Amino acid sequence: MQLAINGTLFEVADTPARPLLWVLRDELGLTGTKVGCAAGFCGACTIHVDGVASRACQTPLAAVAGKQVRTIEGMAEVRADGSVTLHPVQQAFLDAQVPQCSWCMSGQMMTAAAFLANTPAPSDEQIIAAMNKNYCRCGCYARIKVAVREAATLLANEQEQPV
Amino acid sequence: MTSKQPHWKLSRRGFLIGTGVAGAGLAIGYVFGLPRLRLGIADAFENASQPSRVSTKDPSLWFVISPANEILFYSPKVEMGQGIHTALAQIAAEELEVDWAQIKVQNATSRVGPYDGSGTTGSTSVSSLYTPLRTVAATMREMLRAEAARKLGVAASDIRMAHGVAALASNPSRSLTYGQVVQGVTKWEVPKDTPPLKSPTEFHTIGKTFPRVDFADKLQGKAIYGYDMRLPNMLFGAVARPPTIGSTLRRAAPGEAAQQPGVITIVAENGFAGVAATTRLEAWAAVQTMQLEWDQPPPFQQADIDARITVGQGSGIDIQQAGDARTQLQGSSVIQAEYRTPMAAHAHLEAQAALAVVGADSAQIWASTQFPDLVRSEVAKVTGLKNEQIEVIPTYLGGGFGRKSGVEPAVEAARLAKASGRPVHVGWSRTEDFRHGYLRPPTHHILRGRVEAGRILAIEHQQASGHVAFDFLPAAMMQIMGSDFGAWRGARISYAIPNIQVTAWRNTLPVRTGWWRGLGLLANTFAIESFLDELANAAKIDPIQLRLTHLPAGEAGERLRAALTKVADMSAWGSAAPTGRARGVACCIDHGTIAAHVAEVSIEGNQIRVQRFWSVVDAGLAINPDGIIAQTQGSIVMGLSSTLIEELTVRDGQFSASNFDGYPLITIADIPDIEVTVLSTGDIPYGVGEPPLGPVAAAVANAVAALMGKRLRKLPLQMG
Repeated sequence: MQLAINGTLFEVADTPARPLLWVLRDELGLTGTKVGCAAGFCGACTIHVDGVASRACQTPLAAVAGKQVRTIEGMAEVRADGSVTLHPVQQAFLDAQVPQCSWCMSGQMMTAAAFLANTPAPSDEQIIAAMNKNYCRCGCYARIKVAVREAATLLANEQEQPV
Repeated sequence: MTSKQPHWKLSRRGFLIGTGVAGAGLAIGYVFGLPRLRLGIADAFENASQPSRVSTKDPSLWFVISPANEILFYSPKVEMGQGIHTALAQIAAEELEVDWAQIKVQNATSRVGPYDGSGTTGSTSVSSLYTPLRTVAATMREMLRAEAARKLGVAASDIRMAHGVAALASNPSRSLTYGQVVQGVTKWEVPKDTPPLKSPTEFHTIGKTFPRVDFADKLQGKAIYGYDMRLPNMLFGAVARPPTIGSTLRRAAPGEAAQQPGVITIVAENGFAGVAATTRLEAWAAVQTMQLEWDQPPPFQQADIDARITVGQGSGIDIQQAGDARTQLQGSSVIQAEYRTPMAAHAHLEAQAALAVVGADSAQIWASTQFPDLVRSEVAKVTGLKNEQIEVIPTYLGGGFGRKSGVEPAVEAARLAKASGRPVHVGWSRTEDFRHGYLRPPTHHILRGRVEAGRILAIEHQQASGHVAFDFLPAAMMQIMGSDFGAWRGARISYAIPNIQVTAWRNTLPVRTGWWRGLGLLANTFAIESFLDELANAAKIDPIQLRLTHLPAGEAGERLRAALTKVADMSAWGSAAPTGRARGVACCIDHGTIAAHVAEVSIEGNQIRVQRFWSVVDAGLAINPDGIIAQTQGSIVMGLSSTLIEELTVRDGQFSASNFDGYPLITIADIPDIEVTVLSTGDIPYGVGEPPLGPVAAAVANAVAALMGKRLRKLPLQMG
């Protein structure tokens, strides 16, 4: 079967029940999506399926057939000359120096990006509710709040500029 | 990190300036003297002096300078989130006189770079390497200066070194970048004398906040951790786990594993059974079909553990004595209280992982490990290779917290790699990580004290704990030391009190306990600092005032005074808290670092809610202030999770939790506003990865007591 990941088509074995997480990481080499609990509790493996934040460990291949999957590797814009423009959420996490070990951060940022796409001007309460199912063992939560708020501003500025 | 090296395809020759430098720069070998007193040895471990055992025998490579004038620094300490690569790079950049943008950091391996036998543990990385690293960097700077002078045909004293450029002081247009200086040089002369180190007043890089060196890769998902390591032709391994705690494998046979899809290799031997398969899920499934017989110990319960970890059970040893506390602590004015803390998991979000390649006469191990040296020696044992035939390459760690001082996945991967002849990756499942590792030990504390006329006349702390260090030390060391320094970290009384008695009780447990962030610090500080408030309450003295009137003598006492005064100021300590809230204070001195916290809490229904948190941290000379703030914020969050939620229990010989549904962690909704002030004092940096964790639980418990008039003496704190 074919998987569309970050705009590229990948051919993988036709095993529709397999969780996407292990195919991404162990077969396609997309290890930016992290494994935390493999049971849907921690959020470390959060990805987008047609723009919706989903946990790759709980997403069978069948559920993404014909859909667009986006992982952390597909967030930044990489140009032919190798120059990189980070996604506003990545930029905000960098500016606020959010991570420590950073194992959870792909999932945090994917969760935040999907949330902000639907909630462009979030309240603090909405940010907390949106981010409340992603664990961070290093305890970067205070900075995550700051960065998601900042990312909302960056995204709003981006919207205003003509492309 | 280790799998891709885009900028550093260097021919080593010509750029190997590091070779030979370490030998000259590092006259800091550290040898433990023969023990006179068991306590003396324990102190050497317990106190801040745990050295970095950077080898002085093998000249090793600390820096590589590229023609493009990039400086690659090989870090002897692993990056597990604590920011050590950044802090060490700052220290190096300072003495090297290079700009921040020039520095790149890569972890040393057991073959390449400075070799560190002591692991990345105990909040000692910065304090132990501060002087050695500056010395190496300054030495290299002077070697570059001498070579620049030779190339420019001037005296070395005429050269000014700044921003990675050696320039003629009188005519800066005559200059060479460091990258140009090293061109064509194959042999370097190491100066006989160590050059003088810079005065702190000259610092341009130490003491300022610089962005973390590892974030650009991490935030794009490009950084490689142990769980991420991949090699062509690799297999995934899975290992059979005992059905109950303490079970041992009596007999193992392949069973039906050979018929399972994807299975390539099956190992069934002395106490070890595992498979290697083409995918991880296949390996995990197949290992369940092996035919295994286990010897199971009689099942035990949580109550059995609590009974063993009780003051008076097992063996006790006095670890601090002043005056005659036991005589003073008699009569009706003595106050006594008991505290307990539970077992807790590390719950690093990257489960343990390693990738092994084992050949006939060499091996390579990529591991998410805090202790590469231990990985090497343990892999040597199971492969039959010599230490020097094994290269251990530490990756980034997705959290460590003491658990990644263990070496199991590397050893397991090595056994399966040896059997299969192919690279094998072993990444533990969350359930394996919860159930088959080691834990923070449970503790029990009895404190007694007596206050007269506003002064604490006497205090006694009797503490019982499961092992922390002892399960990792040779039996002979345990005999000599008598008590487990890890268990009683933070158990001694720092305050100036004329009569002090501290006794540490230890007992063996049917579960394995060990290193956990701060070791005994959280539990012991919870008990002592809660009890200080109980004494203050009984004597009707303000808790901060009581602490200020019992400051230890000397510099530490003055630093503690400054921290307490500052945190009182930040939290408006003297003023009334908002309606329905109250504040509590707690502090500690640990490894030279001072932490003072104030928590403000409310109670909603039966739930304790921590609303605000103020913290002052004095880790001596601050290397990277924002890094200290980050470590403090993280310690407070992890501490709050222990304070309010975390508890791992046993039922019928097995841990009750197998994943986060049975062991939830604190989330963003339950985090208070946190304000941190960093005080930079003196000219020596201390550690900051663990000390701020110490007083978190006590600050919250003291606030709850102030609010409710009810003292909670057991973690996690639960109302009613």
